[in-house]
Amino acid sequence: MEDVQVVAMLVRRCIAGDATAWEEIVQSYNRRIYNICYRFAGSSDDAQDLTQEVFIKMYRTLPSYDPSKGAFVTWVTTITRNLLVDHFRKTKQDRMTDSMDSTASEHEDAQPLSEQIPDQSAPPDTRVRQREVQETVHQALGKLSPELREALILRDLQDMDYKEIATALRVPEGTVKSRINRGRAELARLLQRTYRQVM
Amino acid sequence: MPDHTSNGMQCNEFDLLLSDALDGVLSGAGLDRFQAHARSCKTCGPLLEEAEAGRQWLKGLTEVEPPASLVPNILASTTGVDTQRLRTTVRAPQPRVSWWEHVQASFLEPTWALVRQPRFAMSFGMAFFALSVSLTMAGVNIHDVMSISLRPSAIRQTYYHTQAKVVRYVDNVRAVYTMQAALREIKRNMSPAEPGPAKQKERKNDTTQKPEQKQERNYSQTGEKLILAGAPVGPFVFDRIIDPSNPDLPVVSVTTDRRFV
Repeated sequence: MEDVQVVAMLVRRCIAGDATAWEEIVQSYNRRIYNICYRFAGSSDDAQDLTQEVFIKMYRTLPSYDPSKGAFVTWVTTITRNLLVDHFRKTKQDRMTDSMDSTASEHEDAQPLSEQIPDQSAPPDTRVRQREVQETVHQALGKLSPELREALILRDLQDMDYKEIATALRVPEGTVKSRINRGRAELARLLQRTYRQVM
Repeated sequence: MPDHTSNGMQCNEFDLLLSDALDGVLSGAGLDRFQAHARSCKTCGPLLEEAEAGRQWLKGLTEVEPPASLVPNILASTTGVDTQRLRTTVRAPQPRVSWWEHVQASFLEPTWALVRQPRFAMSFGMAFFALSVSLTMAGVNIHDVMSISLRPSAIRQTYYHTQAKVVRYVDNVRAVYTMQAALREIKRNMSPAEPGPAKQKERKNDTTQKPEQKQERNYSQTGEKLILAGAPVGPFVFDRIIDPSNPDLPVVSVTTDRRFV
């Protein structure tokens, strides 16, 4: 994805105060970071806020980036992942409070996934159906534990290799593979159960 | 995951090779052993199917498009610069503006915006207050100022009126000085024999003695006598009268602003 020398030059220009170089970095990586945040957090609003936070943190810590220690994209992904984990921990208490305050009928997460899925037999348009399927998978992804979810996002949605994922998540490569396998299997079981109930 | 051996492969080893197998990087004897274990193990077989299914589901997820405002917001929050060229909105063609609107937009509105700032408004308020207090103390009535007519004819009339006043004042002052000079001449004619030194001694402007004592002496010396116009006794008003005992000789009585005892 990136030419190491080009990115290193961009980073040096950024540190020197070149606003154009920073703008190039933002243009190059905003889509990737936004997608990671969106798949992890689940909502567009949260993803926007988190993406902005990621870039603010990048801008402040850019001088600490060392090209000899790894690719820039891995460094960026590590920052993103750390912020996502922090966000998850912060909102975990809110989610627990919400689940205690709300009844099962009014809380979306309290319902089985099959009850959240609209009737799939009706839409005639294929694109609409694809969009609904994607939304279903997206919701199912949100049901996974954060460890499995982040591994799946980085591997299957961002096409990172296992070594980069291991660096970003700070776990051994074998653990990464195991999490990916378990995550895929759990997602499939969740979706199979959902569609079996719908059918 | 249970750790039992099937077809010469443990489940842990299967789990490690599962990702490689799904990625298609496993081949040869390793792939054969992997597939044999998947067929025989009741745990790992379904795991392979589910992992493959989950991978296919995730492949169906496409990238989402970030909002158009994301990049400008990021740049504004990091560098503080709102990059206008990143905004996708196309500007409408600018209508023609008159010179007055141009002046208004480029000078008046910014100036008015500056003046409206609280600190400047407070300064202007204080300045106005100081000015109004000064005018009040100086006796300037705002109604008089407002009633001034600024028509050219009115200004011309005011000019001539003021000029006439000045001319009259100068004429009056000249008449007074002429009369004063005549009286001084008359006095000099009346008392030619007075000795110089004694007269010099009684001069009011003699600073060799204390002023207060000199004034007292002068007051006591003058008494009810008439003071001639030539005497240096400060501001006075002339009042020419005729002495009944000697109608030919003019006598001048002088009234000063000081109280004579």
